[in-house]
Amino acid sequence: MDNRTILSRFAAGALAGASLLASTAAFAGEITIWCWDPNFNVAIMKEAGARYTAKHPETTFNVVDFAKADVEQKLQTALSSGTTDALPDIVLIEDYGAQKYLQSFPGAFAALSDKIDYSGFAPYKVQLMTLDGAVYGVPFDSGVTGLYYRKDYLEQAGFKPEDMQDLTWDRFIEIGKAVEEKTGKKMLGLDVNDAGFVRILMQSAGSWYFEKDGNLSIEGNAALKAALETEQKILQANLHKPAAGWTEWVSTFTSGDVATVTTGVWITGTVKAQADQAGKWGVAPIPKLNVEGTSNASNLGGSSWYVIDSSAEKDEAIDFLNEIYAKDVDFYQKILTERGAVGSLLAARTGPAYGEADAFFGGEKVWQNFSDWLAKVPSVNYGIFTNEVDTAVTAHLPDLASGADVDEVLKAIQSQAEGQIQ
Amino acid sequence: MAAGKAGGLKRYHDLNGWLFIAPSILLISIFLVYPILRSLYLSFFSGKGMMMKFAGFGNVVRLSNDPVFLQALTNTITFFVVQVPIMIVLALLLAAVLNNDRLKFIGFFRTAIFLPCVASLVAYSVLFKSMFSVDGVVNQALLALHLTDAPIGWLTEPFWAKVLVILAITWRWTGYNMIFYLAALQNIDRSIYEAARIDGVPAWARFVYITVPMLKPVILFTTIISTIGTIQLFDEVYNLTEGRGSPANATLTLSLYIYNLTFRFMPSFGYAATISYVIVIMVALFSFLQFYAARDRS
Repeated sequence: MDNRTILSRFAAGALAGASLLASTAAFAGEITIWCWDPNFNVAIMKEAGARYTAKHPETTFNVVDFAKADVEQKLQTALSSGTTDALPDIVLIEDYGAQKYLQSFPGAFAALSDKIDYSGFAPYKVQLMTLDGAVYGVPFDSGVTGLYYRKDYLEQAGFKPEDMQDLTWDRFIEIGKAVEEKTGKKMLGLDVNDAGFVRILMQSAGSWYFEKDGNLSIEGNAALKAALETEQKILQANLHKPAAGWTEWVSTFTSGDVATVTTGVWITGTVKAQADQAGKWGVAPIPKLNVEGTSNASNLGGSSWYVIDSSAEKDEAIDFLNEIYAKDVDFYQKILTERGAVGSLLAARTGPAYGEADAFFGGEKVWQNFSDWLAKVPSVNYGIFTNEVDTAVTAHLPDLASGADVDEVLKAIQSQAEGQIQ
Repeated sequence: MAAGKAGGLKRYHDLNGWLFIAPSILLISIFLVYPILRSLYLSFFSGKGMMMKFAGFGNVVRLSNDPVFLQALTNTITFFVVQVPIMIVLALLLAAVLNNDRLKFIGFFRTAIFLPCVASLVAYSVLFKSMFSVDGVVNQALLALHLTDAPIGWLTEPFWAKVLVILAITWRWTGYNMIFYLAALQNIDRSIYEAARIDGVPAWARFVYITVPMLKPVILFTTIISTIGTIQLFDEVYNLTEGRGSPANATLTLSLYIYNLTFRFMPSFGYAATISYVIVIMVALFSFLQFYAARDRS
């Protein structure tokens, strides 16, 4: 037997061994997942992993907790360098950025159109992960917004929970003035370097930085203008406690310094983490803008899971997401009551947890409310340049505070955004 | 062997010499020369992420129409023009004071002033961020001392944010420059000072007419190092503003803008490469000007 034969036999043997190993030990890998927010996404993913492992003991999970910006930057670095070894198997992507990743890194994410039944999910979530007819990712949570308010502070200022329903922003500002006068507390915490508040208001009127066809819409965008005017009124009336960055912003309400929080439903877990404030909070729909077509419902953030196409555990990861996130209604009840996660699997909303009263919010059926508002969130096109335009808006927030004319500010935002979008 | 005229050529043909430096040449080519050339090549392309198309000088045209780039450029130059002179003068004065052997606890002071530049960039930025927050220690102290009526928006008002960045980099890098001056001061012959003192030259004049001229090469060196550092300023602004250069882009530097273009926004590698060449050109230009200003006139 010459060397070549030995070598080829050896190779054949090794190959057979490998394939035997692969067939018996199918789905016996460790699935690595990148996501942010230990109280929310990380905890929820660990729960999902535990559920899957209970049925498939060979599969283990490694949920890695980063800051959101770090997840995005690590992902973008690894994708652009082409070193797929550095990537996880599943990654969480915020909805604003979904199209950016899909379009600028073609082939990086696994298309799941024929593996997952998307008809069960809220259509707007599926829409934003679709590119050229193929659907990528598994829809996760919604960012439906609400107005969280401190009942005790508002009561001191002479307002009942009924007074907080169906407000306009002008009325909100009036109430804010009364609250500060009576209690010395500011009405809201505002991260003055973040345009999230403007985005909530703009989307509540069915508008975005872009038109449906993706063209930039800044000057002449009535909803954006009204949103900026509202923020200007709040800034100039000095109703806010200023914060720089997320941590400071969160501490404005966890410390009890402000009376209200207007943001996405995913903040519920953070609000409820302050056990000593139990019973003091209520939730109302967000106030309305003074624009035609506006509603009391909006969206901030929200994200979905994506599978990396080059992952060695690709099939296993897809099977896991399909089994838990696309089918397990019970799972959604648990993460709703424990973490305040309003998922976008429609079937989950008929589950028992959605009808339950929440003691933390004084026995209100908050989940029922959020799911009603979710149905009213106007659908908009986030496009692929939301980060860029958002930066342009953020850059001009201090001008608003110092009393600049809103039309001038819009013009300046338009010009900066045009320079960025190329 | 006698070193003759052929020595140079002989050395050129000596294979052993080449073998010795081959590993370094190889590594330098891979990790230094290739990226430099590749980024120059990239700067002629534009597009979203990996979908790049040849754009000629399109990125250069885009530069001139981009208000954010112009703002980042202005900010970077502002930091450089304001901060570098403050830091160099401060470091020089500190070095002159701490060169006095009669001072007690001199070792302690030297170490204390040098210590900030050993601190981790991220740790000290985070520390500054918390110290200068609205409810932070600094505002509380200023209020308690009645130096201000309302808390200063160090991280929320454009002007104060710039001041904060300048404070932060001055705090960190002054001691570093001081060490160079101290080392140079130790090398100045003491008899020069003695002679000046006997001639009745006052202390300030000894500093201006003896110390500063004698330190000229070191001052040139530290100025150029600081220039390069400031024009590439990134860590402080990134960590103080969560990567946003906020408020109102007041602390956005060129390096931070490059980072945002590559890792936060729709990735545009070509445009980012073009801006990085702007930094290269700026550093080269400023260094040349400083060499020119400090040249020996006969």
